[in-house]
Amino acid sequence: MMKGYAGRVLEIDLGARTHRYVPLDEEIASLYIGGKGYGTRLLYDRTEPGIDPLGPDNPLIFATGPLNGSVAPQSNRFAVVCKSPLTGGIGNATCGGSFAYAMKRSGVDVIVVSGRAASPTRIEIDGKTDEITFLDAQDLWGKGTYETQQILGKKMKHAVVGPAGENRVLYAGIVSDERIAGRSGVGAVMGSKNLKAISLEGNRKLEMDDPDAFKAYTKTVRTLFAEHPHLGSSMKRFGTGGIVNTTNARNILPTRNFKYGHFDQAMDISGEYMEDHELKGVKSSCIHCPVTCGRQVEVEGKGVVKGPEYETLALMGSNLEIGDLKKVDEWNYLADDLGMDTISLGATLSFAMELGERGMLEVDVSFGDPAGVSELIRDIAHRHGVGDELANGTKRMSEKFGGTEFAMHVKGLEMSAYDPRGSYAQGVEYATTNRGGCHVQGASMYLESVGPLTINPQNLKLKADIPVVQQNLACAINSMVLCIFTSYGMIPAMIHNMDPSSFTHRMLSKAVENLGPLFRLSQSIKGKPMLWWEKWMTQITGTPMSAGHIQEIGGRIFNLERMYNLREGLGPEHDTLPDRMLYEPTFPGMTSGHPLDQLLPRYYRNRGWDAGGVPTPKTLEKLQVQV
Amino acid sequence: MSVTVELSYDMSKAYGERRIELPQAENVKAAVAQVEAAFRERGQELAPLSRVTAVAINGVLVQHRRGMRTPLRDGDTVAFVKAASGG
Repeated sequence: MMKGYAGRVLEIDLGARTHRYVPLDEEIASLYIGGKGYGTRLLYDRTEPGIDPLGPDNPLIFATGPLNGSVAPQSNRFAVVCKSPLTGGIGNATCGGSFAYAMKRSGVDVIVVSGRAASPTRIEIDGKTDEITFLDAQDLWGKGTYETQQILGKKMKHAVVGPAGENRVLYAGIVSDERIAGRSGVGAVMGSKNLKAISLEGNRKLEMDDPDAFKAYTKTVRTLFAEHPHLGSSMKRFGTGGIVNTTNARNILPTRNFKYGHFDQAMDISGEYMEDHELKGVKSSCIHCPVTCGRQVEVEGKGVVKGPEYETLALMGSNLEIGDLKKVDEWNYLADDLGMDTISLGATLSFAMELGERGMLEVDVSFGDPAGVSELIRDIAHRHGVGDELANGTKRMSEKFGGTEFAMHVKGLEMSAYDPRGSYAQGVEYATTNRGGCHVQGASMYLESVGPLTINPQNLKLKADIPVVQQNLACAINSMVLCIFTSYGMIPAMIHNMDPSSFTHRMLSKAVENLGPLFRLSQSIKGKPMLWWEKWMTQITGTPMSAGHIQEIGGRIFNLERMYNLREGLGPEHDTLPDRMLYEPTFPGMTSGHPLDQLLPRYYRNRGWDAGGVPTPKTLEKLQVQV
Repeated sequence: MSVTVELSYDMSKAYGERRIELPQAENVKAAVAQVEAAFRERGQELAPLSRVTAVAINGVLVQHRRGMRTPLRDGDTVAFVKAASGG
C-alpha cells in the first residue's frame, strides 16, 4: 500500500442502500495525488457526458490526500468533486475543519456517493469496525447546519447540508464544523440525493515513509509560520478581513455589484475594525492549523459564532454598499446555517439589487439598505417568492430577466472579491479557471495586487504566466489536500519587512515582472524538495516531490478538468469575463476594462493549447492525461 | 484643487480621522509631507506607521507612475496601502 494513504475507497449506493470498500487505485493516486485530482479522474471516468448534475447519476465524491490525517499545519481539508449544477462543468470545493482528519483516520481516502435515497437519509461510518449505517434523517430535514451538527453530537465528525442544499439552491454548500465547501453547488448535489449528513470516526494511524523527518521538519515549519508577517501575524490579528483596506486602497474592492472598486465605508467592515470593535475570540476551526484565521463575533440571539471572512465582507458588505459589520456578521451566520456560499449569494443579491434599480425585477432590497436582506436570504434557501429566482444564481437570472452585461459570473460561478480591472493576472485566472470565477484556484492576486510584491498589476507582463503556475500549484495543493493560504508563506518575511518604496524592493519587483517565460521555467525543474509541501509529500509518501513535479501534476489535473468541461459543452467561448469587467473603466485614464483579448492567446500558448483554447494531443500526452 | 488622503487603519486610529483633505499638493511627496505635519500637530508620528506601507494614487501604486514625484490633480485620492493576504 502507498504510504500516506489509507488505501481504500468507500463506494456508497444510496438508492440500493449498499456499500463496499475497494482498494485505492494506485495509478490514479500516483498521477493525481488525491483530493480534487483523484476526484476529477473518477468523475471523468465514471460518468457519461451530459448527465443531469442534480440527477442520481452525478456522483458526489469526498476525497482526501496524503497530507490529510497528519499534523502538518493547514493540512486538514477535504475536497468534494461532482458535476456542478451551477456551471454544468467541473464542480469542486474544499473545506477545512476536522472532517478530513477523521475521514483519514476512519481508514478511507475517498468516499463516492452515488444514486439517490428514496427519503431523507444520513450515513454513519464507523472506521473502527468498518460498519456503515444508513439512517432516516426526516427529523433533521429542514434544520440548519449548526443545529444538525449539534443534534448529531461530538463523537463523530460531520459533513451536512442545510435547507439550501435540500432545496437545491444552485450555490448551496456542504458544511463541516464551522467551515463550508462552498463553491460550485456541491451542497445542491448532496441535497438532490436526499443525503442530509455523513458522519464518521476512526482511530487508524497514518503510515509515513519517514515519520521522524516529518516530525522534525513540521516543527521547523511551525516556527516559520509563527514568524511570518502574514501567516503568523496579520492573519492571526485580523483574519482574512485584514485584506479589505488593502483592496479598497488598490481600487479593487467590489462595490455596488462591481460597478466600482472603492467603498467609502470599507474601514467599517475591515478585519482591523472587527478586532477593535467586535472580536469575541480567535479560532482555528481547522485542526492542527496554527494560523487561526477564523474569527468569532457575537450575533444577536445566536451568541458567539463564526465571523465573516474577506469574501463575505466584500460580497455582502461593500458590494451591497453595506458598511455595517453587525449586519454582515448576521448574514454570514445565516448563510452558513442555511448552507450557502456567501460569494455566490452576495453577487446574486447585488445583481438582483441592480436589476431592481433598473426596473427589470421586482425585488424589495436595494443598495445601501440592509432592510429585507435577511428575509430574502431565507427565501432563497427555501425557494420562496423571488428567492426562488435568486436561488438559481446570476447566470440563469440574467438569461431570464436580462442584464447579462452586469451579471458578475464566469461560466456561471459568481466572481470573487478582487476586481480584475486592477488585477490583470487575476482576471485571466477568473476567465480560465475550470470551475468558473474563483480566486482560490490560483490566487494570482497575491503575487500582483495585494501581497508584498509591487509588480504592476495593470500591464501585460507576466499576466498570462502567473495564472498558469498558480493554477497548477492550486490544483496540486487541493489534491494533497492543503489550504491555499499555505502558498502565502512562499514570499519570505524579509520581503514583507522591506520598505516598498526602497530601491531594493522596487528592483526586486521589476525583476520578477520581467522574468517572463523564466518564471514558468523556474517552476518546471524537477530537483530536490524545497518548499514545505514538497518536503512533506516526500517524507510522507516516500516519492520525491519538487516544484517541477508539483507543476506537472497540477497541470495534469487542470488539463483533465479542461477536458471534462469541453466534454460537457463548456468550451473556450466561456473563457471570458463579464462585460462590466471588459468594457467599463474604473481607474482614471483607463479607456476600457480588463485586456483579456490580449492575454488569453498568450495564456493558451503557455498552456500548450491550440489557438482555440483546446489542449493539443501533444500536451495531453506529455502530461499523461488520458481522455 | 483638492486632494483626499486616505489613511491606513493604524494611521487613522493615531490621527483620529480616516481622511485628510488637502487644498493643495503638487505631488505625492508634498502630500505625504503635509500628512506628516498634520500628524505632528496632533502629537503623532507618521513614520513608524508608514514604514512598510506603499502609496497609491486612485488605486495605482506610485511605483508605477513617477514615484513620490508623481503630480497630483484635483480630485485625486492618495492612499496608504499595506500588503495583505486572505481569500
